[in-house]
Amino acid sequence: MLPTITPTRPKRMDDLLTSELIAKLDPLDLSSKRVFFGKLKGERRSKKRGQSVEFADHRTYSTGDDIRHIDWNILARLDQIFLKLFLEEEDLSLQLVIDCSASSDCGDPSKFLFMQKAIMALGYVGLVNLNRVSATAMGPGPSSVISSLRDLRGKRRSHDLANWICSLNPGGTYSFREAAERIALSRRGKGLMLVFSDFFFKEGYEQGLRRLVGQGYDVFVIQVLSPQELEPPITGDLRLKDVEDGDLAEVTISAPLLKRYKAMLGAYCDQLRTFCARRDLTLLTVRSDTPIDVMVLDYLRKRGIVK
Amino acid sequence: MTWLTPLIGGIAAAIAAPTLIILYFLKLRRRDMEISTTLLWRKAIQDLQANAPFQKLRRNILLLLQLIVLAGVCVALAQPELAGSTLNGDRQVILIDRSGSMTSVDESDGKGGKTSRLEAAKKQAITLIESMRDGGLLASDKADSAMIIAFDSQGETLQSTFTSDKELLKRRVQEITPRDGPTLLDEAMRLAKAQSPQRIVEGRGLIAGEPMAIHIFSDGRIPDAAKATPGQDDHVEFHKLGQGDATNVGIVGIRSERSFEDPTRLSVFVSLQNNQPLERTVDVEFLIDGAGKGIKTANLPAASKTGLGLNKAQEAQAAARAREAAEAAGGKAPDAPATDGTSLQPGLSGVVFQIDRSDGAVVQARLRDPGSGDPPSGDVMSIDDSAWLVVPPARKLAVALVQPGGNLFVSSVLSGLPLSKLVELTPAQFQQRAQAGTLAEFDVVILDRWLPDGAKKSPGGEVPANTPGAPPATTTPVVPGSTPTVAGPTPANAPAAPKEADLPPGRYLILGEVPLRISGQSSGIKLVGEAGASSIVDWRRDHPLLRSVNLDGLNVAKSRKIEVLPGSAATALAWTDTGPILVDSVAGDVHAVVVPFDLAESDWPFNVSFVVFMAQATAYLGDEIDGGALRQVQPGSVLTDRLPAGASDASLKLPGGESQTVGVGTDGRVVFGPLKEVGVYELSWKGTAGATDVKISGGAKRFFVSSLLDSQESDVGALDRVELSNKDVLAQSRAPQAARKQIWPWLLLAGMLVLMVEWFVYNKKVHV
Repeated sequence: MLPTITPTRPKRMDDLLTSELIAKLDPLDLSSKRVFFGKLKGERRSKKRGQSVEFADHRTYSTGDDIRHIDWNILARLDQIFLKLFLEEEDLSLQLVIDCSASSDCGDPSKFLFMQKAIMALGYVGLVNLNRVSATAMGPGPSSVISSLRDLRGKRRSHDLANWICSLNPGGTYSFREAAERIALSRRGKGLMLVFSDFFFKEGYEQGLRRLVGQGYDVFVIQVLSPQELEPPITGDLRLKDVEDGDLAEVTISAPLLKRYKAMLGAYCDQLRTFCARRDLTLLTVRSDTPIDVMVLDYLRKRGIVK
Repeated sequence: MTWLTPLIGGIAAAIAAPTLIILYFLKLRRRDMEISTTLLWRKAIQDLQANAPFQKLRRNILLLLQLIVLAGVCVALAQPELAGSTLNGDRQVILIDRSGSMTSVDESDGKGGKTSRLEAAKKQAITLIESMRDGGLLASDKADSAMIIAFDSQGETLQSTFTSDKELLKRRVQEITPRDGPTLLDEAMRLAKAQSPQRIVEGRGLIAGEPMAIHIFSDGRIPDAAKATPGQDDHVEFHKLGQGDATNVGIVGIRSERSFEDPTRLSVFVSLQNNQPLERTVDVEFLIDGAGKGIKTANLPAASKTGLGLNKAQEAQAAARAREAAEAAGGKAPDAPATDGTSLQPGLSGVVFQIDRSDGAVVQARLRDPGSGDPPSGDVMSIDDSAWLVVPPARKLAVALVQPGGNLFVSSVLSGLPLSKLVELTPAQFQQRAQAGTLAEFDVVILDRWLPDGAKKSPGGEVPANTPGAPPATTTPVVPGSTPTVAGPTPANAPAAPKEADLPPGRYLILGEVPLRISGQSSGIKLVGEAGASSIVDWRRDHPLLRSVNLDGLNVAKSRKIEVLPGSAATALAWTDTGPILVDSVAGDVHAVVVPFDLAESDWPFNVSFVVFMAQATAYLGDEIDGGALRQVQPGSVLTDRLPAGASDASLKLPGGESQTVGVGTDGRVVFGPLKEVGVYELSWKGTAGATDVKISGGAKRFFVSSLLDSQESDVGALDRVELSNKDVLAQSRAPQAARKQIWPWLLLAGMLVLMVEWFVYNKKVHV
């Protein structure tokens, strides 16, 4: 809730991923409820029929088909020409989206650090499994995007990802709707998208999420809240200043007000959950003090993001 | 509960309460704090503020506490008071009885002991003063004001103007000291009313001034209560002091008499009174000049209920005895209580001491408990346990008889009296002696059918036309107060002064003449004309002069018709069918008994009553009958006397022992008073001594005594009601209670406490 006074910024990959965590992440793979078209030949079953060894179906022959795919056994038995179809294996596109607004850099431990570690871990899982990993940092910039990485593939690129993550500096405010639009427009193909944010957008998260989900991505919404946001440790007569837009709210902290605040927070999260459920988005709300391995190995696995 | 300044409190509340609430919105000094987003907070406070603009203040304990403080302060500003007693008027008159009976010690002092009624009255009066409404801090004009009058036989305004200065009033009350005098309320009531001038009210005419609340602190023994008239609108409260069953035995009369045959034989009569319904026995000590000379035991009958028919014979006997004793002692017979039938009539008794003493003396009678010799036990009042009397020395009178011709009747009667000297003078000799100032050697001068010319003139200077042989009024009247020898211009060939002088100072028995002017003043007698034959219809049988004289059957053939002017110095003692026939007149230094008819024109000289009258008259005028009553001054009265010529440096030694200087007037008059306490007053001066004075080196001294001698005062049982002329006031059922309690300091204190609680709560809230 409160801005982190001396934020610890990761400088290299080791700050984001410990070796123990890497060991735990190595056997993991990303998964999606859906099967997407891939772009490159990969290790994931594609919707396309292709060159893999796995039989998919038969279909009748039509002129011009490659005769190499004719099922000769069927022709011999039935004297009809059928083609054998095989499943194609392609790669999975993983889109990681991180909120780089000033509000992210709040809380103890910092929400932003938590998000950095989380996308590093997930990105690492994606790279290890030869998926195409893209990352976008939402923040004050052109079209509300600070920078993005495109189509990393292979374990070797995990350092590039780590460098990019370490280069991010949170601050300022942006429009989530604009950022979502930009991501939606720049995206090629379909795949898995994980959006890390606290989702405290004054303009609302609905339009942005709607924009992201519209392209048929399998979107995971991960709401990161600091412990201070859940249990505000403040008291007295205060003038609360929004770190992003400088908005002032005068409050006199009292038990009813705190109760009311918690009720409002609960309602806000419920609203987000309902919104996500309606649009087939998966929501996960985590505290920023949750260990990364617990989040990845437990929470995400339970929700089917990793397996 | 009364509110002194409700309006101010209300206005303050009306202003301060909204101001506080508004300030509460404005006053918060909030700490700035950056947070990730105000989104949820806004929603939370928006929700809390959704219903009403004052939602913010809901359940705000700090504001609540501040409002409580504010309410306390505003209520305090309205200055509420718990009214312990009700005060009806804004103006209080506090009348405090300081008479002798108020010295009775029968009030509880609150510590288990007893205190005097006056002390209790002062305490109650102070409580009353404290209960007076303060104007408060902001409305001093609404304060109750009070004045204080203390009264015994006279009223004295101790605080003459209405003031609301409680400290001053309390000081004035504390200054009240007891007087041993009788109680008279009328004058005090007049003083009180004088402070409230009359006003004219439309439709009602002239009425009394602004209504006052008159508080009478007394034991209810007020003989003249029926004369006291409070204003019709005035509220009178009677605060009863003392107990109804207080017991007292006291001396109510004392007088002395010397034997007619043997003047050295002195009888002193002491009249006693007992107000308790039990018989009592007391010893009466008799002291002369402080030394005990005798002791007698007196049995006092019980006070009895009158009007109930209990043991009537005994009662009648007791009453008769009481009356006799009282009359014999010269004291006032107790008036039969005209109030309710349950009031007790005090039991009366008397003792007589007889001693041989030719010298003058100051005698004292003192009550003692039989056996122990202490003052009577159970006696609440001590000032009536002693009485004093100045007994003149035994001596025979010197009498001068002035008559133009011989009068066998008068001469022969006088020659038969035991006089030291009887000198017959002609009018010319009288005037010579008057001029020479040697008339003072005679105690009594009898003027038979002759008067100095000046005495025949009325003070206006005109001789009544019908006075036979009166000279024309050609001279200037004597200026009152001047000596007779300095009368105005007279014809050169006439002997100036004696002709115009009236009677020089002295005592006169005037037969067959009517003095119109004595001692430069009106004699109080008006000569109307001649009267024909008449006979006596009535006479004052109780007057010392006529006590043993029976005037029945006295016929007068021819007399002067006179009238006694009302309110004058003259008192009619006997009446015929045509008017007064015997007058006692005291004016200035002249005391005259006037018989207006010529003895030769009546059959009186042949009557035995004439002889008795002449003997009584000489004794009466010679101060023998009154038994020293002239030197007896009742407490509360003013001591006045005349010292011999040339007296100076007079000082009066009070019973308490202290001395006070007394100024001596040019005519030798001394005035002191009013006397506060009973006892012996010793007046000493430098100069010549009078006949009855005690000579000391270079001067003389004279004794005066003051004794209560008032059966009303000695009857100390407090009464429950005072019957004023227009109101019948019952005693207040309770003494004024601790009365108005100022609440506002407590409210302020409560406000402070709440403020401290608020401070605590605030700190706790901020630092948790």
